[in-house]
Amino acid sequence: MGLLQGASELFPVSSLGHAVIVPTLLHWNFKQSDPSFVPFLVLLHIGTATALLVLYREQWVLIVRGFFAAAFRGQMRDDNERLAMLLLTGTIPAAVLGVLLENRIKDLFASPYAAAAFLVVNGVLMLGFERLRRRAERGSTRKEQEEGFAHAERISFRAAAIVGACQALAFIPGISRSGVTIGGGLVAGLRHEEAARFSFLLATPTILGAGVIEVPQLFAGGVPIGQYAAAAVLSGIAAYASARFLLRYFRSGRLDPYGWYCIAAGLVSLALLRFGL
Amino acid sequence: MKSNTVAVGLGILGVIFIVAAVLYIVGGILPTFTSSSAAGTHAKHAILCGVLAVASFVAANFARPKTA
Repeated sequence: MGLLQGASELFPVSSLGHAVIVPTLLHWNFKQSDPSFVPFLVLLHIGTATALLVLYREQWVLIVRGFFAAAFRGQMRDDNERLAMLLLTGTIPAAVLGVLLENRIKDLFASPYAAAAFLVVNGVLMLGFERLRRRAERGSTRKEQEEGFAHAERISFRAAAIVGACQALAFIPGISRSGVTIGGGLVAGLRHEEAARFSFLLATPTILGAGVIEVPQLFAGGVPIGQYAAAAVLSGIAAYASARFLLRYFRSGRLDPYGWYCIAAGLVSLALLRFGL
Repeated sequence: MKSNTVAVGLGILGVIFIVAAVLYIVGGILPTFTSSSAAGTHAKHAILCGVLAVASFVAANFARPKTA
C-alpha cells in the first residue's frame, strides 16, 4: 500500500482512488471502513509530503523566508515572496473546503464503485484540460509551445485560489489532487513543468496539515504503528522517485496518457467489481 | 486594493477568527457551526480558524496604504 500510494500520489491518477479500489480487487484483508483507514492513508500522505519537502528543500527555505518578509512588510518584492503568498492563497480554500466537507466525503471512502466511477471522471478531466490548453498553444515543436507560457511565480492570485480550491476535489476517491491542480495550472497559463511544480508545492502544506490533525488517531486502539510507519517510508521513497520522473516528463509530456489510463482503469475496475472477479 | 478601511476590516476579521479558534480549543462551544461534537472536529476547526486569522492579518497588512 505504501509503494502504491507513494507512486500514485503525485501521478495524476488519484492515489486515493487506487487505495480504495486495488485492495478490494486483490482481496487484501484491509477494511476501508476501519477507523484507522483514513489516518493510515494520511500517514502515507505524510511520507509523500516529506519526500516533496526533501525534493524542494532549498526552495521551501526561500518560500518560508519570503512569506515572513512579505507578511511583515506588507509588500512582495521578489518571486519567492510572491510564490509564498500564492501558496497561502491556494492553501486556504483547500483547507476550508476540506474541513467543511470532510465528513460527507468520508462516507464515499467505503465504496470502490464510486472510486472507480470518479476515476473515469478524472480521466475525462485530464483530457479536457489538455484540450483547452492546446487551443492556446502556438508553435510547432513542444519547446516552442511551452515557451509561450509562464512560470509558477507568475500565476495570478485569483487563479491560485481556484487551483487551490480544486484540491478539495481530491477528497473524492478517484479524483487526483495533482491532476486537477496541474490541469488548473495549465488552464491558468503555466508551462507543464511549472504547473507540476506549483501542484507539488501546493500539495505539501495541505497534506502535512491534514496529517498533523489525523495522526493522533493512529495511537488509539491497537493500530500497528510499526507497519504503518514502514509503509509511510516506502510511500516517501516512491513519491520522491515519482516527482523526479514527472518533473522531467512534463518538460515535453502532456496529461493525455494519464487521462486515458484513468478512463481505462476506472472502466476495468467497474467491470471487475460488477462481476465479482 | 489599498485602503485603511479594508485593512481595518481584515484586521477585525482576524481577531474574530482568533476568538473562534480559542472558543473551539476550550471545547465544545459554538455548536451551531459544527456538524459533529467530536473533539477532533473542534481541533480541526480551531486550527482552520488559526490559519484564517493569520491569512486575515497578512491580507490586512497588504491592504494598508504604505507611506513612501
